[in-house]
Amino acid sequence: MSAHVSVDALTIVFGKPGEERAAVDDVSLQIGRGKTFGIVGESGSGKSTLARALLGHTRPGARVAAGRVRVGEADVFALSGRALRAFRGGAVAMVPQNPLSSLTPHRTIHQQLHELITLHTELAGKDAHDRVIELMVRTGLPDPKALAKRYPHELSGGQRQRVVIASALIAKPSLIVLDEPTTALDKTVEARVLALVTEVAQELSATLVYVSHDLNVVGAICEDVAVMRDGRLIEHGPARTIFANAEASYTRHLIEAIPILTATPAPAIGIEGPPVLTVKNLTFHYGRRALFARPAQPQLSNLSFTVAAGETLGLVGESGSGKSTLASLIAGALSGHDGTMRLCETTLEGSARMREKSLRREIQMVFQDPLSSLNPAHTVGEIIDRPTRLYFGETAAGAREKSIALLAELDLSPDLLSRRPRELSGGQQQRVAVARALAADPKLLICDEVTSALDVTVQSHLIALIKRLQLQRGIACLFISHDLAVVSDMSHRILVLERGEVRDYGPRDHVIASPQTDYTKMLLSAFRATQALRQERARPAMAS
Amino acid sequence: MAVEALPAPRTSRLREALASPLTAIGVALVAIHLVLALFSPWIAPHSVSAIFTDGLTPPSADHWLGTDQIGRDYLSRLMSGGRVALLVSAIGAAVAVAVGTVLGLIAGYFGGILDDAIMRVTDALMAVPELVLIAILVLTFGKDIAALSVIVAIVYTPGVVRVVRAKTASIATLDYVRAAELRGEPVPRILLVEIAPNLGGLLAVELAIRMSSAILKISALSFLGLGISQPTPDWGLMVQEAMAVVFTDPWFLILPAAALSSLIIGINFAVDGLSRAYGISAKGTR
Repeated sequence: MSAHVSVDALTIVFGKPGEERAAVDDVSLQIGRGKTFGIVGESGSGKSTLARALLGHTRPGARVAAGRVRVGEADVFALSGRALRAFRGGAVAMVPQNPLSSLTPHRTIHQQLHELITLHTELAGKDAHDRVIELMVRTGLPDPKALAKRYPHELSGGQRQRVVIASALIAKPSLIVLDEPTTALDKTVEARVLALVTEVAQELSATLVYVSHDLNVVGAICEDVAVMRDGRLIEHGPARTIFANAEASYTRHLIEAIPILTATPAPAIGIEGPPVLTVKNLTFHYGRRALFARPAQPQLSNLSFTVAAGETLGLVGESGSGKSTLASLIAGALSGHDGTMRLCETTLEGSARMREKSLRREIQMVFQDPLSSLNPAHTVGEIIDRPTRLYFGETAAGAREKSIALLAELDLSPDLLSRRPRELSGGQQQRVAVARALAADPKLLICDEVTSALDVTVQSHLIALIKRLQLQRGIACLFISHDLAVVSDMSHRILVLERGEVRDYGPRDHVIASPQTDYTKMLLSAFRATQALRQERARPAMAS
Repeated sequence: MAVEALPAPRTSRLREALASPLTAIGVALVAIHLVLALFSPWIAPHSVSAIFTDGLTPPSADHWLGTDQIGRDYLSRLMSGGRVALLVSAIGAAVAVAVGTVLGLIAGYFGGILDDAIMRVTDALMAVPELVLIAILVLTFGKDIAALSVIVAIVYTPGVVRVVRAKTASIATLDYVRAAELRGEPVPRILLVEIAPNLGGLLAVELAIRMSSAILKISALSFLGLGISQPTPDWGLMVQEAMAVVFTDPWFLILPAAALSSLIIGINFAVDGLSRAYGISAKGTR
């Protein structure tokens, strides 16, 4: 079978002549017609640049230094003007990462799809309108007639991505490039969008190129996989082979780093004793209840759980499940709840400002985005010293000594003390944020999606560090994430939250082995495919 | 996604900015004007107020640009003509930026009634055309250097408040501010240590734009006879004096106007180039 897409010794460079940096470095690969091809790599690996090159597109400031890209009969970088437009509107289509920014905010869904249909097909008037509805039905959008009249911001994230996929299907392309199409979506929504994508590709017998940092996703839907690092193609081949016996050590490293649901041994169980955090019948509404307003849907309803010293409670939920609201209430960023929260014997009430200083010290939080949680104007030293000076009244020298010790515990060099957050990598930034939290010597550490901005290898390092330090210091940890795999790696017990209500709560292995609700089962299913692939690794070894 | 790219260190960014010819010209013009303003009493050939001749005389070896209508050395007066305007606008703009920053931080961080109160006063001041407002204030406060500085500060504070408030409101939602609140940091520390340092570049740009605008306004006032008065040399005043002889001796009009323009243009080019190099937009202010 002749290749549908072929990339020959492609090199794409950025920067001024003389100081160029290769984003894609001498990459060659072939993709057969109708195949599902995954490109994986960590941030900065050049995977998106390569994906765009398949459409004959380079980002501003980038240029093709060498090589060729052929799609079907077309040499894409030789196309220009009308031919390039026809190619992009017809033979190939792209689904980008952020569906909101790829739809025009001031036009309705119908207007946008209709325009594309009249532009790229022969259809017009009533026929074009029928095609809009047909596409919307095809991509599983509910009540297409009503939805078509809405504007992009009136749709959910998953619905928007369906609209973008619908628009990609208009000209029945033979190649669809998807660049992290589900990264902004919740896991359960992701699963449905992925199912749609594969189904539609099969129907059109189109070639699918799927770019992602998420090996779970790529492993689940792709037949062939290419692994990229620093612009180079590390290896490529059938997904089965890559997952089972990767040749490159980097690929193996990448695969090892994926948290797995049940394979890791249960973390050593924490100290027995009275719970550090006790939450009982916690309910929370946003806003005051006005006289005539309908009572708002509670953000959290009737939550009860405990966390003991040295124990990690994993809190899993999708966006809107109330998990961050819960963290904010405990930390005191929000106030006004019903029910009780206690830290050891002290009742938690009101905002952080109204609480005792010692209580503020005992609850520390690590945030999702390390860059925005560290003040860009301060040095790492100033950031980590601050809690020591504020809570323990240490001198500058004393605080600095403690900060150096903390950095060492987090595998960071004391050289970083004089640097600013922007000069650090994502993983280093997040470790500095953890060091700042630990400097306060807390009893309870709240980790709110701390790994979701990080690459998978960096993520596994951070988790290992937090686990170790938490055990050493006997800190109770509330670990919040949308990623069930990360949570299961980290936690002794798991609490699954959906729309403010507890769906599952219990020891980790129990929740994962026998989930009580469909919701938890659905969350779990997203990981099964990759796991199946990984578990096959043992088989060829036995056969040979 | 982790951000791995590091921004260029500050010195190389400055060098990069100066590589642009317009920025280099701007910086050079500003430097020349600063040197003249600071040292003109010592470098000028003659005293600015001494009378040498009976009236207008053409350029000569002793008086390179001749003498003005009442016989004073024109070159010396031209060299000193920007001093008062620069001094007044520098003090005024600095006070405006300082006061505006504090008010903007408070309005942007607290929001609510405090924000409304500060912003409505600001709006009221901004609703009056600048020159009219200045004229009214001059009639109230007088026109010595201290009074003019206060006037410049009053006129330019509202614009600074607006810009700082908007930036503060967006910084206040970031996690590092939330982290400071959860730590229980005192409010002044949150405003001054956590938020204010991140306004840095913005404040520098604000200071420069307000200053260049103030210089122009002061000169306009002098031209109208409301600002700096005789015998102090001032470009606005010199332009006004030249009106009488504009058809016979046009350089009396052209020279001070050119001096004023070169200062304003210099400041604008310099600010434009530097703010671009440091990634701050100078647009969207008043």
